[in-house]
Amino acid sequence: MSDQDEFVTFSLTVDGTPREVTARWSESLLTVLRDRLGVRGPKTGCAHGRCGACAVRADLGDGDPHVLCSCLVPAATAAGGSVQTIASIGGPDGELSDVQEAFLAEGAVQCGICTAGFVTAATELLETNPEPTRTEIEEALYGNLCRCTGYGRIVAAVETAARTRREQKSPVPLTTRELAASLRTGPEEAR
Amino acid sequence: MLLAAPLFALPETPPEALAALADRPGAVVVAGGTEVMPDLLWRTRTAAGFVSLRRVAALRGIARTDGELVIGATTPVAALTSAPDAGLRAAASSLGTPLVRTEATIGGNVISALPYRNLLPTLLAGGATLELTSATGSRAVPFDGFITAPGRTGLAEGELLTAVRLPAHRGFADYTKVGRRNAQFVATVSAAIVSRDGGARLAFGNAAPIPFRSDDVDTAATALLDGQASAADLQAAVAAAVDPPEDTIASADYRRHALGVLAVRLVTRAAVDGGLGA
Repeated sequence: MSDQDEFVTFSLTVDGTPREVTARWSESLLTVLRDRLGVRGPKTGCAHGRCGACAVRADLGDGDPHVLCSCLVPAATAAGGSVQTIASIGGPDGELSDVQEAFLAEGAVQCGICTAGFVTAATELLETNPEPTRTEIEEALYGNLCRCTGYGRIVAAVETAARTRREQKSPVPLTTRELAASLRTGPEEAR
Repeated sequence: MLLAAPLFALPETPPEALAALADRPGAVVVAGGTEVMPDLLWRTRTAAGFVSLRRVAALRGIARTDGELVIGATTPVAALTSAPDAGLRAAASSLGTPLVRTEATIGGNVISALPYRNLLPTLLAGGATLELTSATGSRAVPFDGFITAPGRTGLAEGELLTAVRLPAHRGFADYTKVGRRNAQFVATVSAAIVSRDGGARLAFGNAAPIPFRSDDVDTAATALLDGQASAADLQAAVAAAVDPPEDTIASADYRRHALGVLAVRLVTRAAVDGGLGA
């Protein structure tokens, strides 16, 4: 068996861009994203599905996109599929999403290694459940570990993001800039 | 076949999967990856390639037929958290994390064959059968006895686990486990109960090298349910029947004690929450 036999070639859409990948058969989706494609949003934490630092939203080719630990997925099983990392959550010019703004406003970020995973999981939660209870937030973030801030600020950030989204459904939506300011001062002062 | 490399195959049907496996001696069947990927990382498993079942649509999903739940082998644990079986729901909901449950599968949990895996006591208490498929056909075997040692099963060369069949029941079913902390923990010991026709059937995790149940324990559990025996009687029956492992997580004595506590807890729930017994 030649060295070349170790490799698999497949296509994968990452943050909207089609990519060709050649990787060893056992490589994880996380390894392919970070080391082969230079996509550094997902972080390597525990590398075995405990910490959630590598969380991405992926459609593994079966039309069922969901958030998963990219460290646990053999990369080639995602052949023909698509992956959305934290880069897809913010705007194209580095604009932060409402969830990201809420994390900043609530002081839910310290060293930052867990943040992309938390924001990914929290964004998915708010898409499926716009008015989560505190318990539902804690359950949804159960697979994400933080070792700096503790979880109080993070849960508060998700509550803030949910509340802001509800308030944003007012007739005149806030601009992103207003939204950012509103997270710090309240919606009326921002206008 | 979506992808066929010398050491990696991405089949779309069970026959394609079996053919891919036959062509790749030494390849490991991988479904969600939650078991196999950490094993490779820690070098506790060797493999010469993957045959991934992730895209075999026919193996995913839950169907109800003839008084049974037929669960495709690669049905994710996340789907079991809302399955029409309370025991399965309880065991699935406490497995790993939400991010793991979307990928971990019932088939992977069975084939891992480790006595502390979440779903196994529920399958044993519920009298599950397994559907094993090879190039020459399918056979059904009881889950009881399928696991022969930690990590070892009765799966033959060239065979795939394709479905788990769980008899439907109208009684009470539940699962409980204890670990060293209250988050993301592997069971130090675990227990499941299914009660039907006035009787209680218990099964345990980490009570022996393989998932464990015993007629003596069920007799004592049913007697407790009927008010004919005490909690201490059931704990004594459990302690006499089990042969738990001793390791760095817990002593055999601790496990023997905790298994009795879990047995009484589940029978109490069957009586209080399920309204069963005298």
